[in-house]
Amino acid sequence: MSPDPLAALSIRGIEKRFGSIVAVAGVSVDIKLGEICGLTGPNGSGKSTLFDCCTGLQKPSTGRVYAQGLDITGWDMHRIVREARVIRSFQKAVVFRALSVEENLVLCGQMIAFQGMASTFGVGPASRHRVRRLREQAGHLLELVGLSHMRHATAGQISFGQQKLLQFASMLMPEPQVILLDEPMAGVNPILIDRMMENINRANQEQGITFVVVEHNLDAMKALCHRLLVLSRGELIADGTPDAVVRDPAVVEAYLAG
Amino acid sequence: MAMTGVNVHGSYIYANPRHGLRAAGFAVLVIALAAAPLVAGDYQLHALIVSMTFLLPALGLNLILGYAGMLSFAQMAFFGIGAYSSALTAMRWGTPFWLNLVVGGLAAGIVAVPLGIPALRLRRYSFVMCTLGFAVIAQTIAKNWISVTRGDLGLSQVPRPRIALWNGGFEITSITSYYYLALVLSVLAVLAFLTLVSSAAGRYMIAIREDETLAASVGTPTWHYRMIAFALSAVFAGVGGSFYVHYFTVISPTVFDPFYANTVLVIVLGGGVGTVGGVVLGSFLFVAVSEALRIAPDLRMIAYGLLLIVIVFACPEGLLPLFIRKIRFGGGTHVP
Amino acid sequence: MLTDAVVNGITAGSVYALVAVGMTIIFGVLRAINFAHGEFYMLGTFGAWWGIETLDLPYIVSIPLALIIVAAIALAVGVLVMKRLIDQPFQIGIVATLGVSLVLQNVIILIFGGAYKMFDGGWIEPVEILGISLSEQRILIVVAALVIFGLLELMVHRTRFGKTIRAVSQNIEACKVVGVNVPVVVIGTFVLGCTLAALSGVLTAPVTVSLYGGMGTSITVKTFAIIVMGGVGNVSGTLFAAWILGLMESFVASYLGLQFRDAVAFTALIVVLTLLPGGLFSKRERF
Repeated sequence: MSPDPLAALSIRGIEKRFGSIVAVAGVSVDIKLGEICGLTGPNGSGKSTLFDCCTGLQKPSTGRVYAQGLDITGWDMHRIVREARVIRSFQKAVVFRALSVEENLVLCGQMIAFQGMASTFGVGPASRHRVRRLREQAGHLLELVGLSHMRHATAGQISFGQQKLLQFASMLMPEPQVILLDEPMAGVNPILIDRMMENINRANQEQGITFVVVEHNLDAMKALCHRLLVLSRGELIADGTPDAVVRDPAVVEAYLAG
Repeated sequence: MAMTGVNVHGSYIYANPRHGLRAAGFAVLVIALAAAPLVAGDYQLHALIVSMTFLLPALGLNLILGYAGMLSFAQMAFFGIGAYSSALTAMRWGTPFWLNLVVGGLAAGIVAVPLGIPALRLRRYSFVMCTLGFAVIAQTIAKNWISVTRGDLGLSQVPRPRIALWNGGFEITSITSYYYLALVLSVLAVLAFLTLVSSAAGRYMIAIREDETLAASVGTPTWHYRMIAFALSAVFAGVGGSFYVHYFTVISPTVFDPFYANTVLVIVLGGGVGTVGGVVLGSFLFVAVSEALRIAPDLRMIAYGLLLIVIVFACPEGLLPLFIRKIRFGGGTHVP
Repeated sequence: MLTDAVVNGITAGSVYALVAVGMTIIFGVLRAINFAHGEFYMLGTFGAWWGIETLDLPYIVSIPLALIIVAAIALAVGVLVMKRLIDQPFQIGIVATLGVSLVLQNVIILIFGGAYKMFDGGWIEPVEILGISLSEQRILIVVAALVIFGLLELMVHRTRFGKTIRAVSQNIEACKVVGVNVPVVVIGTFVLGCTLAALSGVLTAPVTVSLYGGMGTSITVKTFAIIVMGGVGNVSGTLFAAWILGLMESFVASYLGLQFRDAVAFTALIVVLTLLPGGLFSKRERF
């Protein structure tokens, strides 16, 4: 099956083995542009490993990954972000804790504002102008996610839920095509969950960003996603609308057995 | 840029941007130092010069440890490489002083690149030990490449700095002129350091220190910036070595001894890693003061040892925050 | 010359092995490199020298005296410093033990002066075995290393203390949950490791003859190389790596020149780290 050049992500036969353990057992799926796609499954079903293989944190044992027809298999993480505009979040490492909230955003926007490596050493008027633009953009995003009042706070000292919102805002800084979110709602209080979902929807509708969301919170997933994928033991066992998928007997069985 | 610091614990200090206050403090310090020869005797000036030669490798260590998050013991190897290359160039070709500084810095920076290629693949202890190995190997080479380095005898009668001017220039010989030369060099080094860490590249280095994977996920080519930090830390050390050799006019393989490497580590950790003010404070406190008081090396090392133990457990941010607090409570210069 | 080089290499290797095995078990429980390890080797040598010179004791009595002194110092360092390193990031361990090393080394220099001293003791009569003439002391060193490695293997696998050490090395969190007194294990292991380093120093002194306050530094540095080559936490790997280093140094010293000897360890270390990150004898990467 050839990759779909119009798909945000075309995953073809991705397999990842660690010794004799198979974490992902040949997954093929297309994520359409502009979609909010949920990815769920029992613990250890291979969701994170699949994410890792798509974003360059791990190299797949076999199979290929394409972003709008561009073969990104085996690329380094920073190159995938810069050239394929596919960015991801992590469950635990959320923000740069020693930097201020604003500096976190500036840092994430640097890859667009400062293209060549030499330009990152510049301190002249041009560089200052770029940083000023990044700060303006950051201020705008902070307003959107409701963190404007914490602009100068140290990122490590704000609450975990707020850190997750900050993380979300930072991912918008480099204007990506695709965002992969690894459990954006875990450990976040219900009010911030609503705010997070609002932000995801807004970025999707206004900027046309494609989302792939790994999440255990099925209620949130049903409300948020256009489409839901279920992984079990490294294999894709369901793919469809959230309502259809949660009624799928194979999914129910996987959750009970898992 | 906001002043950011990390200590070896991994806990963080952070100060809001206060460019004005910091610039003012820097200016006051420079003016005070410029006026020092009016009151200080030759020996005190000598002590200050020595502390300024340590400032450069310390800034280099601060870059790689405080900003890029890697503990390197190779600083004195690069310091020595800078010193030897600068001395040899000056002795063989009679090159001008500023060119010797460039040669010293570049030689160290260029040597750092091939060393960095294997070393930067390593993490944690392996990296630390590998950099320690560079210092041991550098010393072995300096001792045994007798045709060039004259082995244990070392190089002597290294030319004093010549400053070229319209009237032909002059040779730096008096302690006061050395002092001003060191001061100019230190100010330039501190400014270069501040410029570097407040650039976009500096922000990438902090990102790497904080979390390398997260840094890569926001588009940081982590390997490249780790290499750049490693090489630039070597350039700082190399320039420091170059000045050192033209001040003392002798150099021998003892420069690679752990004594010097430990001193640099004490300056950075004791002053305040990840801050510029801390490193400046550390150089003066731990080198100038002990030099001026003529404390014997063994007593000094015992004090350094105790200081390292106390610092890591009791005040991991180094002494700089304590000093700032003192000034605020005592002098009322508190800025909200 | 060849036989001499081999004999010297095995002797030196056995000396290194005794020092390095202490460091490797300390690393196992604490995940911290002991930068002061060579200082305990130096303290052992100085303890015995002091016993012989000042108290006029025979060598055989000065051995246990030195070990007791070093164990007491190690206990103090363990309680004051090493205990606090549990669960700390790795740089903390490096900086703190570097501080310990500076203090120990320079206190000795302060007390006894920085000059070289002569060690007058031990059994240095040559004996002939299989046509090779070598001193009794060298035989003692090799035999002691073999016996102690045998005992360590037994201890690690058979005794309660050994099993606790292994348990803490593998999972410190689980040990805390099941009520293992981790600080006691850490201090106990530290004292044991440092005493082994001291024993190595005492046994080597009659062969190396001279001693001075700064002698520990190069031992620490070589020990790093050995535990990396041997695979961290691997007891028998440590012995083989130490012998390999001893032999390499001995050959380099005999055929290239003595001055290159001290760079061998680090050249080997850098090569091993670059090519085999897990060490020569271990597949587990734990560094």
